[in-house]
Amino acid sequence: MPKSKKQHLTHLLTEYGMILVLILLGIFFSLVTLTEQRPSGKKAGLQIASIVKKRFDKDAHILIASRNLAIDKNFYDALSGSLTSAGFKHLHSVQGTPRDARAKLIELENQKIKLQVILGNQTTADWLVFEDIKLNFPQLGAPTRIGPSPYKWPNFLKKDNLLNITNQIAVIAIIAVGMTVVIICGGIDLSVGSLIAFSAVLCCLFIQNTAGGLDANAGGMILACIAAIIITGLVGSFTGSMITAFSIPPFIVTLGVMMMASGTAYLMSGGESVYRVPDSFVWLGREASLFGIPNAVFLMMLLYSIAHIMMSRTQLGRYIYAVGGNAEAARLAGVPVKWIQLFAYTLSGLLAGLGGVVMASQLKSGAPTYGQMYELYVIAAVVVGGTSLSGGEGKIFGTLIGAFIIAVIQNGMNLMNIESYTQKVILGMVILIAVLLDKLKQKKFQTS
Amino acid sequence: MKIFKSMTQASAVILSCSTLLLMTSGCDNTSQTAGSNNAETTEPSKNKGTIGVSLLTLKNPFFKVIGDNITAEAAKQGYKTIVLSADEDVAKQSNQVTDFIVSKVSAIVLSPCESRSIVPVIQEANAAGIPVITVDIPCNEPGVDILTQVATDNYGGGKEAGKAMIEALGEAGGKVAILHYRQAESCRLRVKGFKEVIEAHNVSASARIDMVMELESGAAKDLGYKAAEDALQAHGDLRGVFAINDPAALGARAALEKAGKQDQVLIVGFDGQPEGKQAIKDGKIFADPIQFPDKMGIEVVKSIVAHSKGEDVEPEQLIPTSLYRQEDGLKDSSLQ
Repeated sequence: MPKSKKQHLTHLLTEYGMILVLILLGIFFSLVTLTEQRPSGKKAGLQIASIVKKRFDKDAHILIASRNLAIDKNFYDALSGSLTSAGFKHLHSVQGTPRDARAKLIELENQKIKLQVILGNQTTADWLVFEDIKLNFPQLGAPTRIGPSPYKWPNFLKKDNLLNITNQIAVIAIIAVGMTVVIICGGIDLSVGSLIAFSAVLCCLFIQNTAGGLDANAGGMILACIAAIIITGLVGSFTGSMITAFSIPPFIVTLGVMMMASGTAYLMSGGESVYRVPDSFVWLGREASLFGIPNAVFLMMLLYSIAHIMMSRTQLGRYIYAVGGNAEAARLAGVPVKWIQLFAYTLSGLLAGLGGVVMASQLKSGAPTYGQMYELYVIAAVVVGGTSLSGGEGKIFGTLIGAFIIAVIQNGMNLMNIESYTQKVILGMVILIAVLLDKLKQKKFQTS
Repeated sequence: MKIFKSMTQASAVILSCSTLLLMTSGCDNTSQTAGSNNAETTEPSKNKGTIGVSLLTLKNPFFKVIGDNITAEAAKQGYKTIVLSADEDVAKQSNQVTDFIVSKVSAIVLSPCESRSIVPVIQEANAAGIPVITVDIPCNEPGVDILTQVATDNYGGGKEAGKAMIEALGEAGGKVAILHYRQAESCRLRVKGFKEVIEAHNVSASARIDMVMELESGAAKDLGYKAAEDALQAHGDLRGVFAINDPAALGARAALEKAGKQDQVLIVGFDGQPEGKQAIKDGKIFADPIQFPDKMGIEVVKSIVAHSKGEDVEPEQLIPTSLYRQEDGLKDSSLQ
């Protein structure tokens, strides 16, 4: 039956509404975080060099200020290289902190040098030490300060920031895969937040006590991570078997497991953070080894792809939808309902364990305070992504969109200087809008 | 057919997701040209930059005052500020710090939620050349470079609390309970200072002050209440309570009132939050060494300015407390 135009529109709105929301949010935050940016590194160095060549004599005394950083080294090399080859004779430089700059100014003053111009990058040009030179160092003359020319670009749309957002959401997004499966299956898992802490503490304890502590090697750390993930997965299986064997509502079982996992994390760690782990432990959470994509983000993308294929193209996926849609009908049709449910909770536990390991790696320690309230963010990501809390319906990639919406809102508001209370209000509103869309979708099914 | 449909849906999602990510590759170049057309050199702007602040929580008015004063002082000096609450969640705080690093703030001010787990992001800020300052809660872990740590002189404050307790109990002396919060380094210092003064007093005093109990108060009203009740059960002749902050002190006061022993037992608190000051004025708490979050906020900004001017900045700045008694409360126009 061909659909009418109006039906097409509703279809689009309900299926892809959240992408629209995400794009609109992106545009919105880009507009409001439009700020003056200054080029940095080599680019800034060449830009300033061309200005200096136009405006100053070859025997002008020039001070180049930069910090002891790689990016500043590029700036300095480009700038001084370009000026030297253009024939400028009197180049002075300082590399370090404002304090070093002050020492350099004193030194130049003692040498009775008249400084014509001070060149700096986006940070050093603004150092206050250069502000009142006329007052503090009258012997130096009145040098002009030149920094890179500003241009307008949204803070939100900077490459670093977008990578930052994806890295920040990785933990929630990874756990949300498991939650999506559980919710599609007709259940709920409140224990994931506590399982983050449980797994993070467990993983760091394994590294600290069995894998050799600060001297642990990569193999030992990987084994510790895998062990933590598997044990957390077993906790998930325990949850699943309580639910399936005794038909206790998932809400209650996972509430109990949530408290037990959190308490156990506190017991195991003695209430403190476990931090004797090697520096290289941050590889998973903080580093990027493939095309500049952070490892955690890569892992997240991989998991989403696998989960998408599992849910849309395998028998297992269809069984999960069937159990969530109508468990009784599924059972009569020969679907092993209890096994499917057990699988869903085990998967959720495994992924919560993985999330905990990623978080431990991001923070280079495991503390029992991690992950508080995360179950709510995870559930929010799933619901915003269009998965129905009544089960049987939803999409894995919808959840990714949902997670991104939450991350973009939080990041955008941090950049906009909106305090966290307002952030909560707005986040709550977005979740309500998502549920509203969900209702709209159900209504469409009823009428058509 | 169905597979095809789901694949198109999936690819649409991936596409829109990754557009956000991949839009970035060309961004620097396109916008660059706008700047270089402008042949005139750029004098550094009037706005000296932004200070990013991530505080432990904004639920506690103490931190709100720190944040407000940083903002006010920064505005005087020509800086903008972003003040965020980490809600005691170290993962959230570390996200806030990475957001600050990305927006290239001039300085980052932190009261760490967890001094060990915050180390990796402080190192990231160090690597980006952004000065980091702690306020109220220090971070003394190895491997981090912190410009200065601004905090209350908790040890000195604890000593003042000890003096106040001696003043409260007078010649008679008697039994004293301490409502502790051991997790916090600041509270351990307070109790240390308190004990030292009391022990020194006991050497020469005619009547001893006995510190009979040290109970966990959770630094909160409800647990302070329970702890004080337990203390009264164990020692009916208790004469004094030292609580490591105002909420614990007020909780203890409620327990004393319930037991009808508010005249027998005197309380020395700590902090000087409005509610605590009011209680001192009303005679419910004997005295508080009060902290000065406003001064802390101002010192933070002064340190940032001094650093940028190339001046020396002390690695640790302790703000002394001052003892606040009932007569100060009566003069205090901010109270009812």
